[in-house]
Amino acid sequence: MGVFAKYSLMSALEYRINFVAGVTVEMGWMIIKLLYVAVIYKAGTNIGILTPDHILLFVGTYVLMTGIYMLYFGNFVSLPGMVQQGELDLYIVKPVSLQFLVTMRRLDFAFLLPDFVAGVAMIVLGWHLAGLPVGVVPIVGFLFFLVCGCLLTYSMFLLPYILSFWIISVGGIVDISNALWDFNNMPSMMYGKWFRRIGTYILPVFVITNFPGLFLMGELSVWACAWGAGVPVLFFVLSRILWKFSLKKYSSASS
Amino acid sequence: MSSYRCVFLMGVEQALEYRVSFFLSMLSAVFPIIIQTTMWNYLYRHSDAAAVFGYQQGEILLYTLLATIVSQLVSTGFEGEMNSDIKMGGLNKYLVRPVGYKGYRFFRFLGQKIPRVMVVAPVMAVIIGMAFWQGMPVSAGRVLAFLVSLGLGLILNFSIFYCIGLLGFWLTDVDKLFGTISIVLTVVSGGVFPLDIFGGVVETLVNLLPFGYTTQFPVNIVNGRFGWERMGVGFVFQIGWIFIFVCLGKYMWRHGVKRYAAVGG
Repeated sequence: MGVFAKYSLMSALEYRINFVAGVTVEMGWMIIKLLYVAVIYKAGTNIGILTPDHILLFVGTYVLMTGIYMLYFGNFVSLPGMVQQGELDLYIVKPVSLQFLVTMRRLDFAFLLPDFVAGVAMIVLGWHLAGLPVGVVPIVGFLFFLVCGCLLTYSMFLLPYILSFWIISVGGIVDISNALWDFNNMPSMMYGKWFRRIGTYILPVFVITNFPGLFLMGELSVWACAWGAGVPVLFFVLSRILWKFSLKKYSSASS
Repeated sequence: MSSYRCVFLMGVEQALEYRVSFFLSMLSAVFPIIIQTTMWNYLYRHSDAAAVFGYQQGEILLYTLLATIVSQLVSTGFEGEMNSDIKMGGLNKYLVRPVGYKGYRFFRFLGQKIPRVMVVAPVMAVIIGMAFWQGMPVSAGRVLAFLVSLGLGLILNFSIFYCIGLLGFWLTDVDKLFGTISIVLTVVSGGVFPLDIFGGVVETLVNLLPFGYTTQFPVNIVNGRFGWERMGVGFVFQIGWIFIFVCLGKYMWRHGVKRYAAVGG
């Protein structure tokens, strides 16, 4: 992973204009996320027990997680092309895990940078303004659920791309999965009870960016904490099984 | 004209190449609508949002439902192809043939929109019908004005992005720049939220700049926010901006094509 990061960083520094262009693209997307925060602050109303300051922290978590997802997102996008054009041949013969190699070989720091800076700033500001506790347990717990969210993001959002082993055009499915990601633009408390349950237990997108904030607020039960820690592992195992199963379908077309 | 008809039909065929993917992409537009309608409903139930944002609840909900559809309808995506034509020498074939490049792009763009229009037209009709049934000031005249402004919005957005695509003559690596411009313009055209909810300078800028006239203006006609006088002013701005961008496109093409090196091809 360190080697991939080093080469990606060297490449980013070599093509500096490309790097700056990447930063501006991500900043464009961030404007949309910030618009939601602006609307909430302008309305000045709470969502359930969440004040606008809490919401700032939740949206900040979403922005940060988006940056981390975008770091390796380009690898997911190029997977269908690699499958169709037989480019996986080159990687299959290498003595490293194929899934790791294909999904982590190129890291886009240009997308991470603006989201990381803005996300961390929003989290710190929201944390401070909302008067949430600062200490070892809250910080470690918050970071733990962030890491869990990262693993869950990787495992869950890889699944639609694995379908490219089976069908030719995955564009539509990918669009839907990307749209699913955007449900985190607002805290899950805004949605109805059943919607929240589906988003937490069936398609657990809400776990990714809501659990760190909810933990800080002391709103996660022991069962919810266990689910937040366990579901990323569950989805990771699922993605591994599906990956290995789908790889048998790979026929090395062309080349 | 028959060559442009062929280009138009080619665009229709291309859009229908992967039908399942096409319909799933269309379906993905429903998700942001769910997020936004949930948010607006919540805010209007729990605060005096009508006074804060200047929109009645019905107006903002109809806006949310229609703006996403209108934004998708007027969206382009050909600017990357234009850049590729300029950089890879693909423009050569248009220069030596009796086909205008702008005409080719325009009719292909229209052709690609047809399947989308066929899907969203009944959806829009149902939404507008329901708004009428809910007692919103929707009339035949307003719907007609909406359709005209939508058509003009489509032409305006095409003209804007045609000019952006022509930047390829001057700039070296513009693919990511196009991405940024496309996102920012979606926001400033009111494709996410109506920007006049922020009032003051933002509202004035939205009224003066061309971008709001591709999405926000057509939607605010049909949801009853604009009176006939405001509509008239809006149409003048819409047509004026189309004229400006058509002229700018011609100017950029004339100067850009002189820089064109016809590499490869």
